[in-house]
Amino acid sequence: MLPALGQFVVLALLVANFAFDVENAGNRIAPGVLWLTITFAGLVAFGRTFASERDQASLEPLLLTPANRSAIFAGKAFAAAAILAAIEVILVPALGVFFDTPVLSLPLALALVLATIGMASLGCLFAALAAQTRARDLLLPVLALPLWIPFVIVGGRAVQVALGSGGEINGALALLLDFDILFVVVASLAAKFVLDD
Amino acid sequence: MSSTEVGVPSTRIAAGGGSRFDLLRLAVYSDAALLVVAGGLVIFYAPADAVEGIVQKIFYLHVPAAIAAYLCFGAVLVGGLVYLWNESPAADRLARSGAEVGLVFTTVTLVMGSIWAKPIWGSYWVWWDARLVSTLVLWLIYAGYLLARRIAAPGRQAARFGAVIGVVGFIDVPIVHFSVTWWRTIHPPVETAAPSSLPPEMLLTFAVSTLAVLLLSGVLIGYRYRIETLRDSLAAALDR
Repeated sequence: MLPALGQFVVLALLVANFAFDVENAGNRIAPGVLWLTITFAGLVAFGRTFASERDQASLEPLLLTPANRSAIFAGKAFAAAAILAAIEVILVPALGVFFDTPVLSLPLALALVLATIGMASLGCLFAALAAQTRARDLLLPVLALPLWIPFVIVGGRAVQVALGSGGEINGALALLLDFDILFVVVASLAAKFVLDD
Repeated sequence: MSSTEVGVPSTRIAAGGGSRFDLLRLAVYSDAALLVVAGGLVIFYAPADAVEGIVQKIFYLHVPAAIAAYLCFGAVLVGGLVYLWNESPAADRLARSGAEVGLVFTTVTLVMGSIWAKPIWGSYWVWWDARLVSTLVLWLIYAGYLLARRIAAPGRQAARFGAVIGVVGFIDVPIVHFSVTWWRTIHPPVETAAPSSLPPEMLLTFAVSTLAVLLLSGVLIGYRYRIETLRDSLAAALDR
């Protein structure tokens, strides 16, 4: 899956390069391109989170194992977060190369790590929900994107600051941490009801 | 095939309109009268705003619709929590009725607000206002809620997924509101019209129209709930 997602990322940057006025806007649009690519690549990745369970009808056997439902969800959420992080590891250097942006900064890395945790827990919750329905490819973006909006608002600002638009970033990072705590707890509590039979 | 053969007690089918004293029907007639009175007050009685002119009268529908929408989504939240706690079908019926009616009132709120914003703010939509963005996200979440319920297997799965989306979505809305407020404080400040204290004529009109709209949302939820009850008993009868 990772090579395909790497391709997806490069393709997204290619489209962005010709869709936006890169010559004149310079690297001002780089934060926006970064976030658009993260959200949509994330949706593609999370759509695959429960794909093998669905294709082989192995979700019910998985739930029949003595493992706690929360533990199963936590494992899936960690895997989803790892995939999203891997996307970012490909995306950020590629953005630096294609958009001529200095991307090597600790605040940028921190903002992305914090956003990844919360987005992965929510994304995994709705991936688990959508995977059990008929039109899962339709349902996942419709449910996950509105709930990712706080991360895009605050994380978007953090990335803008980290990529040089000026301003202070600590408040954004603290807020992202708060969102992470809230949504990790909420998603873990809700997972019990989604992974029920 | 008669209704007794498929196992539907005829009294339950008749529950919609057969009983002699129907509180819901009484509410419909009173609300129809109240809506006419509210409309008359808005058009003829309430004075035009000194600054905004006649456009300000949108306020009498816009704000009550927003209040009604929040109460409806409150019903989705409570219904969802109760369902997750004890799997009560009645709680789930309340939640799905609330989501549908709430979405209607959110649409009214957004459309009315945009029509008001064009002459007052100069554009139909602005991104710096936390209420606008959080109301839009609210609309998107509960549209997703209804879509998910339609796609999920009817019965327990739809109810459970609906409850989860209803509860998690309700938590998200104040977070979005807060995020936009925070985001705005680090952006150049924007002029906002400070709500001055209302003269008594406006206050009375607002009170009556709020009452009329809230009663309307209650009536719509009541009928929606009845329809869902009938649908559930029909599904149960066909299952048997």
